[in-house]
Amino acid sequence: MQNDYIHLILADDDEDDRLFFTDAFSELKMNTRVNTFNDGVELMNYLNKEDALMPNVLFLDLNMPKKTGIECLIEIKANTKMSGIAIVIYSTSASEEDIEKTFVLGANIYIKKPGDFKKLKKVLSEVVSINWQYHTNSLNKDNFLLRL
Amino acid sequence: MRTKNLFKSVLFLRIVLLFGLFIILLIGGFTYQHISNLTDSTKIVISTYDVNVELEHINSYLSDAESGHRKYTLTKDALYLVPYIDARENINNSILKLKKLTIENAIQQKNLAVLNNLIDKLFTNFSKTDVLVKNDEINTESFKSRLFEEKIILDSIRRQVKEITDLENKLLDDRQKDYQSDLRFTPLFFYLILLVTLVIIIIAFSKINTNLIKIKAQNDQLLIFKESTNQSEIIGKHGNWVWHIDSNIFTYSDNLYRLLGEEPQSFEANFDNFLKFVHPEDVDRLSKELDNMIEVEELPFVSYRIVQKDGTIKHLKAYAKAFYSTDGQKRLLGITSNITDEIENFLELEERNLELERNNKELSAFNYAASHDLQEPLRKIQTFVSRLEEKEADKFSDSGHQYLERIKSASARMRALIDDLLQFSRTNKPDKEFVIADLNELFENAKQDVAITILEKKAQIKSDNLPKAKVIAFQMQQLFLNLLSNSLKYSKKETYPVINMNYSKVKATDEPHLLKATKDQYHKITFTDNGIGFDQKYAEKIFDLFNRLHNKQEYSGTGIGLSICKKIIENHKGFIFAKGEINAGSVFTIYLPFS
Amino acid sequence: MKLFLKFDFNTVSKKVLEFKFNEFNIKHKILGFGEVELLKKLTSDEYETLEASLNDYGIEIVENEKSILVQKIKDAIVDMVFNEDTNVNVKSSVYLSERLGHSYGYLSNLFSEVTFSSVENFMIIQKIEYSKQLLLNTDLTLTEIAFKLNYSSVAHLSTQFKNTTGITPSAFQRIIFKRRDIAQQKNNSLH
Repeated sequence: MQNDYIHLILADDDEDDRLFFTDAFSELKMNTRVNTFNDGVELMNYLNKEDALMPNVLFLDLNMPKKTGIECLIEIKANTKMSGIAIVIYSTSASEEDIEKTFVLGANIYIKKPGDFKKLKKVLSEVVSINWQYHTNSLNKDNFLLRL
Repeated sequence: MRTKNLFKSVLFLRIVLLFGLFIILLIGGFTYQHISNLTDSTKIVISTYDVNVELEHINSYLSDAESGHRKYTLTKDALYLVPYIDARENINNSILKLKKLTIENAIQQKNLAVLNNLIDKLFTNFSKTDVLVKNDEINTESFKSRLFEEKIILDSIRRQVKEITDLENKLLDDRQKDYQSDLRFTPLFFYLILLVTLVIIIIAFSKINTNLIKIKAQNDQLLIFKESTNQSEIIGKHGNWVWHIDSNIFTYSDNLYRLLGEEPQSFEANFDNFLKFVHPEDVDRLSKELDNMIEVEELPFVSYRIVQKDGTIKHLKAYAKAFYSTDGQKRLLGITSNITDEIENFLELEERNLELERNNKELSAFNYAASHDLQEPLRKIQTFVSRLEEKEADKFSDSGHQYLERIKSASARMRALIDDLLQFSRTNKPDKEFVIADLNELFENAKQDVAITILEKKAQIKSDNLPKAKVIAFQMQQLFLNLLSNSLKYSKKETYPVINMNYSKVKATDEPHLLKATKDQYHKITFTDNGIGFDQKYAEKIFDLFNRLHNKQEYSGTGIGLSICKKIIENHKGFIFAKGEINAGSVFTIYLPFS
Repeated sequence: MKLFLKFDFNTVSKKVLEFKFNEFNIKHKILGFGEVELLKKLTSDEYETLEASLNDYGIEIVENEKSILVQKIKDAIVDMVFNEDTNVNVKSSVYLSERLGHSYGYLSNLFSEVTFSSVENFMIIQKIEYSKQLLLNTDLTLTEIAFKLNYSSVAHLSTQFKNTTGITPSAFQRIIFKRRDIAQQKNNSLH
């Protein structure tokens, strides 16, 4: 990874999950910068700011109060300024319908939160590296779908 | 059919009547002709008689004339010439009479002309003789010849009279003969005609009689039918009405009155009186339908409410259709039935259905939320345990490690339970999307999900080619996955698992299992394994939720997998059956409706 | 007197690089820390003066050949996968070493060192990428695609697709087609 850093954002209402997420990246020793938001409204407020730094990858929890992950996804995909962000759905459950629905709405990656920290680290590093590959190897982002 | 026969006999009777009338007219005609014939005959007899009398007169006048003439000749006394002159006049009168009497007969006219000539000749001769007498040339040759000629003429006259008499008599005789023969045949003819008439009348009577018997039988039946209709109307809670459109007369059946809560035939049957009972909110609609009905000649099912005098509200449904009676009168025949019970039952059923639906939704929402929300804390426990294990492992004692392991396995089991429950509640959700899917692909996908286990256990999976079918794709894949994992999980420890998936298209009637089949043809897919099997007596129980045949130390099942299979198959309107033999293996057979 | 300084080395380095490249009049794009894309090719003379000049600031041009070689490996693989005329009968390892004039072992190690991933992995990604294109833009069946991409069986491609993307080829196809339908509907409603 020879970039400056990779900008990651996570929107998740669960404190523990945010902790696991930031811990995982700090242990991964990748050149990343992680921002977290406590719900969908906070996230969208940030993204809609004029000078907001757009993340390379955005992790969305599905079950959030005020504004769900799906609602965020739809808003983001409708906004040309944000539509280039790689979207990762980061959820407790993984029903085939949920997965297909979010993919159809424009999500690129669907992660079922693992119940093991090691696995979590592995999954998150995979996401970043695959996203990087799509970025550097000029692969067609429209066809970027990944389920972990 | 019967009415048709009756119509036929009516026609027959009409024909018989016409025929009878015709015969009576015929007889009248004949009688008139006979009587007039008889009158004619009498006239002819009288005329013949008159002719003969006149001829006799002529004869006697001639004799008078001759004797008077002779006396004159002898006496030369003019006194004797008087009867001679009178005779001449009388003869002329008689001849005129005769001419009149025989005016229709040309021969007699001719004969009369001849007779008249001869008489003229005779009288001319008389005159010539008179001249000789005056001159006293009696006993001269010419006088003698005159006498002789007189004798010849007289003979001719007598012959001629006789001829006329004979002819007249002969004519009378012929007429008499004709008349006689007529008179002989007439009674026979009359008799025959009467006989035929009698036969026809007897046939007609017997026909009328049988018809009467039939009509009576039909009347009896009609009476029974009417009574049974009455009864069935009471029991079936409906009434009928007829609207004679041309005369605008209504007839209501007794029970129609009862439906309105009134005594039978207690008010005049008409539209206005009926409308008094109709619920105010439904009057307009019903009137409109009825107006429309006259045009289209049919009243589609229309339901409305009525209010009885005691305030009871009833739901009625009416239907009517136009029909034409045999005399071409247009009528509307309507049936009105009381559907209050049906409507109440329907409403109750609907209410219950809604309640059931609500319950189901709540249950499924609860199930989903419970399993989903239970997952989150559990996952965190697991994650924290994994962090403990990773970061703090060296600080634990041996028993600490053991406890950690126990926590791990307990939470793993809980996770499996929750996952399966979630899966089960998902298969319970309604509004699934049926799509045409290649079952082979779904099976391959399922196989990939257990690919690691297949490798680990060195399992062998043989499968037939599957068709495409209209299914809920996610669920079918889940079904294949559950059956595969089931076979892999309950495999014998000492042998490699062998799983055979076979397919065939079958007719429902050929499958003894399929007692409740709703379709004719089914896809039949069987999964056969060589695993530990089960006792056949549990063959139905294994599909029950949380039902396990083995303890969890031996085999790590949750008792949900096969329930999910059953649920999925039910969602597809199919069937699933299990057959097992301990230590020999099990066979799962699924039937999917062939569409 | 003393000044206490806090350096942002990123900014410092960027400023120095910008200053130097402008001095030599080289059109460029600073991609990030430690990576600069030149918009025109340098002659070897230019390259040497630039290298010497940067060295004065303690900046070294590193891994140049390595990066170039990795890019060549990538190009070769993309060419092999996407270009049907390329001879696909030889093994990819043989093909790469013949085309680039290095042993496969060397190329493979170099690739892993620079990209943190393997040649095989890169090849799989490219193959799956190509099969995605074929799934979406042609009427070829998965079996035909497997044959075209030299897979031993359709199951092999299917498995690799699932392992790489986490979803099955048919699910992938279905999802993208649904996306296109939605986009189509949006377009229609706009006009």
